[in-house]
Amino acid sequence: MHELGMARSIAAIVEEHARGRPIKGVRVAIGPRACIERDALAFCWDIVTDKTVLAGATLGFIDAEGDTFTVRDFEIREEA
Amino acid sequence: MCGVCGCADPKSEVSMTNVDTGATQLLRASGQSLADAHAFAHAHGLPHDHLHDHDHDHGHDHHHAHDHSHHGHSHDHSHDHSHHGHSHDHPHDHVLEQHPAGNHVALEAAILGKNDAIAARNRGWFEGRGVLALNFVSSPGSGKTALLEATIKALKDQVAISVIEGDQMTTNDADRIRAAGAPAIQVNTGAGCHLEADMVAEAARALNPAPGSLLLIENVGNLVCPAMFDLGEAMKIAVISTTEGEDKPLKYPHMFRAVGIVIINKMDLAPHVGFDEAACRANIATVNPKAEIIEVSARTGANFGAWTERLQFLLAEAKARF
Repeated sequence: MHELGMARSIAAIVEEHARGRPIKGVRVAIGPRACIERDALAFCWDIVTDKTVLAGATLGFIDAEGDTFTVRDFEIREEA
Repeated sequence: MCGVCGCADPKSEVSMTNVDTGATQLLRASGQSLADAHAFAHAHGLPHDHLHDHDHDHGHDHHHAHDHSHHGHSHDHSHDHSHHGHSHDHPHDHVLEQHPAGNHVALEAAILGKNDAIAARNRGWFEGRGVLALNFVSSPGSGKTALLEATIKALKDQVAISVIEGDQMTTNDADRIRAAGAPAIQVNTGAGCHLEADMVAEAARALNPAPGSLLLIENVGNLVCPAMFDLGEAMKIAVISTTEGEDKPLKYPHMFRAVGIVIINKMDLAPHVGFDEAACRANIATVNPKAEIIEVSARTGANFGAWTERLQFLLAEAKARF
């Protein structure tokens, strides 16, 4: 449904907190009543992050309670 | 993926039209999400000052303890203490907890947090003025606009009414509302499948509803996405029509769970389409036992008084709190 907007919101939250550091992966917590289609969100995530500082960052899902829909955490990529 | 509502179109623009003046204003440029939009750019509520606050408290405590002896020393000590807080790898992160490896940043940030923050501000604005804001949701074609037209005609001499219309395209609905006798703002969501709180904030600012008045918000016809987006309304009201099938509440439980009232419209057609009223009521009760059910025909006016009386009662409640 509206997963594109949700993917943009997740990207904006992570970008704000990453402050330029490269991101390896992001995990979102999703409850059964959050009305979020995971496959659709993953599809949109790739589109939204393409050619941005988040390009290549994976999107992981964590099962949560109720209508939870939050960015749980993210992982910063080690600079080589 | 997003074939249901088409919101994957990256060329989406959101605009607002005042049908009284014809003025159109762009609310979101192409490809912009609420996260980028101007309203509440810094609205996330995570406690980013905590580390700093902690440092200062420590310093002050120490300073006071040594106050009676040597002032010079106490100053040094308080500096030492504040360095404690800064020894973390990323002291300025908006962090609730940090993994020992230093690469994980825990956030637990609500993804709809920005919308929810603006919705809360809208709600306070409405409540502070005694404005009763209602968010009407339904599938397309259930008769939301006809219901609002009939409501305006029935009540406009007793109460000030203004309307925010949400549709992907056209100002048709706002034009109908204006013809019925109420000021209306049309929000065009472009490819978007629902209204969001910032759009309502802008439209409400333009409408400037009078204290003690009724603000009717007609959401985009869609029983899926609008359930997720709080606009700051006092109540969501679902409209279903007798031509849609009695099992809509079972098919779209999230939406029907979120509403306070379900209006069953087009009751004049019920005998012609074999509408099973008992089954419809039972299905609504299954997903939302608390929902009130009001059956009307907006077209013929049948039982419309039951709805307008309920509305006036809700308005009186809103005014009493004001």
